[in-house]
Amino acid sequence: MFMAALILMLSTGLFFFYLQAVCQKVLRRRFAQQFSQAIVNANSLEFPSVRKALGEFGVPVEYPRLMMTLKCDFLALTYLLKNAANVNQRYTYEERLLIVYFKLVFVSLVTRHWLRLRETPAALKLTAILEYFANVVGERVNTVRFGNLTASDYLLNL
Amino acid sequence: MGDFVLAHGLQYLTYAAEVCVGLLLVRRATWRRLKGLCLYVAVLFLLDGVARPAVLNYFGLDSPTFKSFYWLTDVVLALGAFLLICSFFRRACAQEEKLWRFVRLLLLFVFILVLVISAVYILRNPNHNEAGGFTAEIGQNLFFTGLVLNTLLYVMIQQFAIEDDELALLVGGIGIQFAGEAALLALCNLLPAKSPFTDALSTFLPPICTLGMLLTWAYAISKTPQEVPVRLQPGRGASLAEAIADS
Repeated sequence: MFMAALILMLSTGLFFFYLQAVCQKVLRRRFAQQFSQAIVNANSLEFPSVRKALGEFGVPVEYPRLMMTLKCDFLALTYLLKNAANVNQRYTYEERLLIVYFKLVFVSLVTRHWLRLRETPAALKLTAILEYFANVVGERVNTVRFGNLTASDYLLNL
Repeated sequence: MGDFVLAHGLQYLTYAAEVCVGLLLVRRATWRRLKGLCLYVAVLFLLDGVARPAVLNYFGLDSPTFKSFYWLTDVVLALGAFLLICSFFRRACAQEEKLWRFVRLLLLFVFILVLVISAVYILRNPNHNEAGGFTAEIGQNLFFTGLVLNTLLYVMIQQFAIEDDELALLVGGIGIQFAGEAALLALCNLLPAKSPFTDALSTFLPPICTLGMLLTWAYAISKTPQEVPVRLQPGRGASLAEAIADS
């Protein structure tokens, strides 16, 4: 009984650990160039400033504003992932996995806030996922051309 | 009815994923680098996707022949996974020959230990695991050993900062499969034998874990950057060196 409970706890922990490890490896994918900036500028996304404030300057960000920013950027980017320059209008498997991962880390951020633990690592993970999404959207959009302009140039010139 | 369709749907999705990973390995010519993985995927498909359903259809679910065959294939798959993890250890120790010699001995020792422990356990408890006897016991022990070894391998990759994303993803895939199924086995031990919850978990979780493993492997094979081997023709080396020096 005791052994079974121990194995259950350990293997459940390992299962989530491996899931997280796979997600982190997916996020480490190197893109040919930094595509995210154009998407961030075109859509006025705020996660880079959140990451800068938390990661580089260590400035605390007001919790409700942090949550709202991350949530809005997530909604905007997932919409773009599905609809911008996506012929199938479907998420890929790794995008689905990362969407689930984002939601789990988001729940962990809320839990950390309730328990008054450090929120910064979870918030930085969320911004990393958003940056990956922005890079994927940017990469896709970059392949579509509108006349002489790339789609990201087109979006910037709107 | 809905559960039946979902369970079968998941099962066929797993078979399709096994075929897709096999095709991906062949199409991208990755099978030369990943012979162990290729062999394991082929054995997994042949046993899990072809042989088991064939024996089940011919002999029926409650026949002793199917039960024996199931446990025997279970051991073969557990042994295959163990050997696959050994091949990943070899790849992780590619730059460290001394470490590999030590790891090789350790793996051999662990394997012998699993055999001995399974034999002793069955001799002391002859009625344990009645359906499969020694094969079922050794299969389960190899399975748990695989999970521990896989975790050690993942820790080793992180500890030695081995820059091999493909290997880390392949190891992560095995981890998802092994950890998920180990949790299920432990939960089945804790809950009453014939509860609907246990039945549902036993039906849905194993194919989901296998699917998770195969999708992770497919991602590892198709998305991680590969090193392309360059073969120089004799006499071309000098001109290449000159060209590099000129640039």
